[in-house]
Amino acid sequence: MSENLLLVPVFLPIAVGVLVFFIPKMVKGVREALSLLTAAIAFVVVFLIFRMEESHLFISIIEIGDFNLHLDLLSAPLASFILLFATGFGLLISLFSASYMAGKERYKEYYGYFLFALGGTAGVFLANHFLLFLIFWEMVTASLYFLITTGEPRAREGATKSFAMIGASDACLLMGVGILWFLNRTFVISDINLPAEGWLPVLAFLLLMVGSITKAGAVPMHTWIPTASEGAPASVMAYLPAALDKLLGIYLLVMISTKIFVLGYSLGLVLMIIGAVTIIAAVMFAMVQHELPKLLSYHAVSQVGYMVLGIGTLTPIGIVGGLFHMLNNSIYKSCLFLCGGSVEKKSGSNELGDLGGLSRSMPITFITALIAALAISGIPPLNGFASKWLVYQGVLETGKGGSFIFLIAAMFGSALTLASFIKVIYSVFLGQKSKYTEKVTGDSGFAMVFPVVVLAILCLFFGIFYRFPVEQFIAPGVGVSLTPMGIWESPLATILLIAGIALGLIIYWIGRAMRSVRTADTFVGGEKIEAETIRVEGTYFYDTIKELPLMEKFYLSEEKGHFDLYILFGKLRAWITGALQFLHNGILSTYLSWSLLGIIVLLCLSIFLL
Amino acid sequence: MFLDAGKYIFYFLVFPGFIFTLAVGLISVWIDRKVTARVQWRVGPPPGQPLYDILKLLGKETIVPKNSNKTLFLSAPLVGLGSVTIVSVILWLASVYKISFVGDLFVVVYLLMLPSLSLMIGGMASGNPMAATGANREMKLILAYELPFLLCLAIVIIKSGISINMVDLAGNHVMGSISGVLAFLISLLCIQAKLGFTPFDIAEAETEIMEGPYIEYSGVPLALFKITQAMLLFTLPVYLISVFLGGLNFRGLGILWTVLKYVAILVVIIVIKNTNPRLRIDQALKFFWRFLTPAGIVALVLAIIGHISGIDWL
Repeated sequence: MSENLLLVPVFLPIAVGVLVFFIPKMVKGVREALSLLTAAIAFVVVFLIFRMEESHLFISIIEIGDFNLHLDLLSAPLASFILLFATGFGLLISLFSASYMAGKERYKEYYGYFLFALGGTAGVFLANHFLLFLIFWEMVTASLYFLITTGEPRAREGATKSFAMIGASDACLLMGVGILWFLNRTFVISDINLPAEGWLPVLAFLLLMVGSITKAGAVPMHTWIPTASEGAPASVMAYLPAALDKLLGIYLLVMISTKIFVLGYSLGLVLMIIGAVTIIAAVMFAMVQHELPKLLSYHAVSQVGYMVLGIGTLTPIGIVGGLFHMLNNSIYKSCLFLCGGSVEKKSGSNELGDLGGLSRSMPITFITALIAALAISGIPPLNGFASKWLVYQGVLETGKGGSFIFLIAAMFGSALTLASFIKVIYSVFLGQKSKYTEKVTGDSGFAMVFPVVVLAILCLFFGIFYRFPVEQFIAPGVGVSLTPMGIWESPLATILLIAGIALGLIIYWIGRAMRSVRTADTFVGGEKIEAETIRVEGTYFYDTIKELPLMEKFYLSEEKGHFDLYILFGKLRAWITGALQFLHNGILSTYLSWSLLGIIVLLCLSIFLL
Repeated sequence: MFLDAGKYIFYFLVFPGFIFTLAVGLISVWIDRKVTARVQWRVGPPPGQPLYDILKLLGKETIVPKNSNKTLFLSAPLVGLGSVTIVSVILWLASVYKISFVGDLFVVVYLLMLPSLSLMIGGMASGNPMAATGANREMKLILAYELPFLLCLAIVIIKSGISINMVDLAGNHVMGSISGVLAFLISLLCIQAKLGFTPFDIAEAETEIMEGPYIEYSGVPLALFKITQAMLLFTLPVYLISVFLGGLNFRGLGILWTVLKYVAILVVIIVIKNTNPRLRIDQALKFFWRFLTPAGIVALVLAIIGHISGIDWL
């Protein structure tokens, strides 16, 4: 009985997703209610699965010799723990969407694809058969494409790009799975364990790695996320690129680097280099962005670097840190995207230059965004710090001299992250009001505020009690025990910080500040200028850095797309088709001579082989 | 359990936490003002002056600007105060009593960023354009000095035989090597910037943007910032002593030696402060990224070579 429970989180959302398409246009509110209910049921069922013993469901479908396809579902501890988060995000974001997507043109299809993505994700985490895994994986890719298109018309470009890039990486994944089958003659994931030595296993690893880091969005396969953010609904960005795609991609990366393959140092080094480059490059791009979703999406890329770096260290603490960072990142990143969506819905703009001064009219959104922003910048005692701290130790434990480069890249990346979130917090919530934000009165409604509040509380909880998830679930899930070399007593530090704040309050009380507080005009050098009219826009905060000689070239080539594999491949394709066009000149004799040449080659080959 | 709690409260509030750090910090501020005065051929204030200044500020009314986020504006100074107190306790306990408390080197480095963060957030919350400019400069300054600062941090970790425990680091002999000396000198300049002293007082820049983030602060919140600054003036040199100069030691002649180390660092900082003009923010970025970062990389490479080949003096 209990193993049949595994079917619910996978097939219930898919079934309801199909059903949603058939609900007539006139009926209102049912789609939202259905999707919320489905996500809630999935969440509860996954919680039950998570609490159960490891269970296994096996239904045979096709079997032809060595080649087979079975419905083979397994609830491994780590997978079901991550799935718990995935369905949790599904629940929160479907609540958010109920308010956010209302009034948008294509909100009808939205819930269908939303549920497909949820079912597909559950399928990936539970599948113990590589073909099944691929089917569900593709389902998430396809729903991502459709979900992005439900945004503004300009989102189509991003949708196509995402589909092309992830689709290409999925082809790599397929080839990798093919090689694995060739080597092991089995598709059962839990049966495969081979050392990554010799060219074929290494090739298989690299192919699977490309699949996983494209889904998660690491350099150089990251460019679909920023493009998709232009015009895609904020809830979609929070749901897939910020949360589910990270969970899927990094989960696959952990699986291939710990369970499926036994890695050597050199492949680990490849991952560490990808991680470090991702951290720095993406955050440098993020700093100079002018559009809130695009800035956030570059951070969604940059944070992947920490996860890949941690996993690439191949030390227990690094891998656990990477996984913990994956969870933390999906928490604060979806919180930030949702806050961005809230702001956009209220003010009607997501250009940083158009916003400002929202902290007083949207206090709850502001506080949650501030917590999430500090968490992503790794400010103790929030969750981002705890996982980064584990990753840093992982890097140190590799014991190689060169790994200090990665340590410095990771720590400096964290300062750069803080810098770009100082810009966000200032330009969106503090500073002067603009013509867009003047009219905003009052915070968003319950449906849009509740999810971000939950996520912000999770940021605090996972930061202060980081030992709980790490030691109870993640480390046993990976099958390691942790011996941190450093010390971080987060609860004590939090108590002391609170004590420090209390101390400051006592000083306030001694100074009787609470009794005589006077409100005065802003001081602008003693001039009689209305301070409200002087707007210092956060948009230009880091132009000093942008204009440094070397940086200028770096940013210029980014703008030209020199770092974008999608554009580079596009140019390559144009070049190749250009060359082929030359052959298609419409003259019959040319075609005939090519055909003749082909027949001769075939004949020669057959004579040789026979 | 209760004994532990009592012990922590004592650590935090009295010694070596808030009261002790503040007392030494205020003396350091006095030394700063006195030396500055002597450099400028003035007499300088009496030893109690920094304390009187803070007491005076506590008695003044608090003015809050009209279009500020009032809660954030008033609560921002508190975070910096809390974090600098924790850092002080961590450093002192590790260095003097060999007790590991709360966190390791990474924690210390991150907590040391909080005072700057609270200043930036407070300034931005005030809604003043000058404060926003100052906060933005402060952030760029952090980016500037953080890169060489982290390179030096890596050297310290290497020299301790890959340890991040503050107790191990305090007993560490970094200065016996070329890379160690380089790292110390670079860190000293980074500390100058962390303190916001000339030539890196770019964020405050009285003559350009009128104290930047501080512009709207008055009365008690300003006093809180002044207290945090005074405590930092003690904590940051102690950080340098802990990780580079073999830590603090109060047995026998060690007292003299420790005090000498502290005063020497303080005087160097003050002399640099008084003999240099303020840099522009882009000049500061270039200074840290073009000069100190390559120097830090050279030192790091030397340290790694020394670590691998076992040559201590590299």
